[in-house]
Amino acid sequence: MSLRPSGDFKTTYVQDMAILDTRFYRIGFGVLLAGLVLAPLWAGRYIFLLNTIGIYAVGACGLALLTGFTGQISLGHAAFMAIGAYSSAFLSQALRLPFVVALPVASFITFLFGIVVGLPSLRIKGLYLAIATLAFQFLTEYALIHATGGIGATTVPPVSVGGWTVRTDRQFYYVVLVLWVAAGVFAANLVRSRIGLAFMAVRDRDYAAQVLGIHLLYYKALAFGIAAFYAGVAGSLWAHYNRLITTEQFNVGASIDYVAMIVIGGLTSAWGPHLGSAFVWILSQGLRIIAPTVLTVFPAFGKIATPLREIVFGVTLIALLIWEPGGLAMLLRKLKRKLDLWPFAY
Amino acid sequence: MKEFILSGLVNGLAVGSIYALIALGFALLYKSTKILNLAHGELVLFGGYLAIALTQFVPFALAVVLTLLAAALLGFTVERVIMRPLFGQPLLSVIIVTLALGYVVRGLMVGIWGGSTRNFPAALPGGTLRIAGIPIQSVGVYSAATAACLLLVFWLFFRYSLVGIAMRAAANEQLTASTLGVSLRRVFAYAWAFASMAGAVGGILLGLWLGVNFALGFVGLKALAAVILGGLDSIPGAILGGFAIGIIETIAGGYIDANIIYGFKDITAFVVILLVLLVRPYGLFGTEHVERL
Repeated sequence: MSLRPSGDFKTTYVQDMAILDTRFYRIGFGVLLAGLVLAPLWAGRYIFLLNTIGIYAVGACGLALLTGFTGQISLGHAAFMAIGAYSSAFLSQALRLPFVVALPVASFITFLFGIVVGLPSLRIKGLYLAIATLAFQFLTEYALIHATGGIGATTVPPVSVGGWTVRTDRQFYYVVLVLWVAAGVFAANLVRSRIGLAFMAVRDRDYAAQVLGIHLLYYKALAFGIAAFYAGVAGSLWAHYNRLITTEQFNVGASIDYVAMIVIGGLTSAWGPHLGSAFVWILSQGLRIIAPTVLTVFPAFGKIATPLREIVFGVTLIALLIWEPGGLAMLLRKLKRKLDLWPFAY
Repeated sequence: MKEFILSGLVNGLAVGSIYALIALGFALLYKSTKILNLAHGELVLFGGYLAIALTQFVPFALAVVLTLLAAALLGFTVERVIMRPLFGQPLLSVIIVTLALGYVVRGLMVGIWGGSTRNFPAALPGGTLRIAGIPIQSVGVYSAATAACLLLVFWLFFRYSLVGIAMRAAANEQLTASTLGVSLRRVFAYAWAFASMAGAVGGILLGLWLGVNFALGFVGLKALAAVILGGLDSIPGAILGGFAIGIIETIAGGYIDANIIYGFKDITAFVVILLVLLVRPYGLFGTEHVERL
């Protein structure tokens, strides 16, 4: 619920359907977009952080559609990202396909994998599905390690779009930004479409949805497919950004990070995955910066430096979820409501 | 070949008894609180690391007792500080919180005691024994015997003690038990303490056998496989599942590992999970969930 100024009524269906429905949101979104487009001016050497946030936000958008909107818990999202990354690497390295072809094809391959993994979700539900996807994660990791000859490292050629080769982080940032915004807008619109409504019906009670004429198998498999497609885009971007991929980048820890992102951000909010990705990566980058300082103040921490990220990450996650189970999106909404009404209580 | 299978059977039973003990804690916690504790492996890690650290100062037996007390305390703390405020929250939030808890425990353990493998001082006689002509490390035999005794103790506890009966009642039907005067909070707290203690004992036993390093945490995932095989909410199922996973891993995993693909043993548990979920999602002894609209 947002408060709107008096006299500002919705008089047409177009107004009613607008995602950015007040001037505040339109201006705010414009400022945000402008800030992101001009990011190389203000981000300095931290542009790599924005790249990482963007790539993971794309993947998290997919997981949010699957888990937040369709209610299918997946603890194997990084496995899809790995499939996207490795098929993208194969397409552009072995077949010499350009980036603009390799990315969609790799994502489509991941989409197919997603459909296959999604098929059992008709029978396996809830916690059991979480465990099954966890098993899928480990099996994929294992298969990739063996398929790539034990080490699991693969090099990827640089991105080149129409004869223009992307060499620096700054140039790559614009590749990420385009796909990031497109992915976010597509997800925000998808959940309002027929498909998105069907997803939510499946989430709320799958058998009831079936009685209402929603083809469960089709929509569950589709949700997995779309989530996998997003992960495939993220994986392909990640492969071309890092230029060297190893299976360790897509291990179970990355899958957990993904779930953490969407839970932290807010499960059923269009902004959730983006906020969550930003939160997780800024937190881990911040820890990397302050860790040496902590060590100079408390030298006794010497041994604990490496796992410091894990500990602080875990504690933050627990504290945030106890404090506000709805995630950052809910916090922002509460904040906005408070500001709307200020200085009155209600 | 016959030798291989027999040896796999004996060794598998020995390691399976430890898995059974760990899986028991897992199933117990799920049955009484409906929480899928993905930090269970880290509770195992906690037991192993703490016991090894304590043996440097006190005799082995005392170290085990202290570790168990610490594990119980950890369980109580987790329930009181983390899980109680999250009561009634969506499934996913609770799963994420247990994962985060696992991060914290593992980070603390590895941070304080380092990542390299550490071994217990020789508290039990070493060497190898022969059972029906099959060689097995004697540590394995002692571990299996201890695990079997503890399983018996747990069974007696749940069969005859008041707390045990209250916990079974709460697991059976929370609301009814609550109206009949069973304190759910206390039951949840005890469930966490017991799960944590079962995990810690498993950590000590495995640590005696294989040494302690952070990879011990992955045993939690094998316990998960055992529980899925036996049925998530069945305690006898968890125990049988533990034995079964131990044997399958040693025989089938060991065979494929040696003859077909290298490194298969570690993922046998996941193959079992997937197969069981596809064929019989509620496991061997779990209650089949019938949904009504």
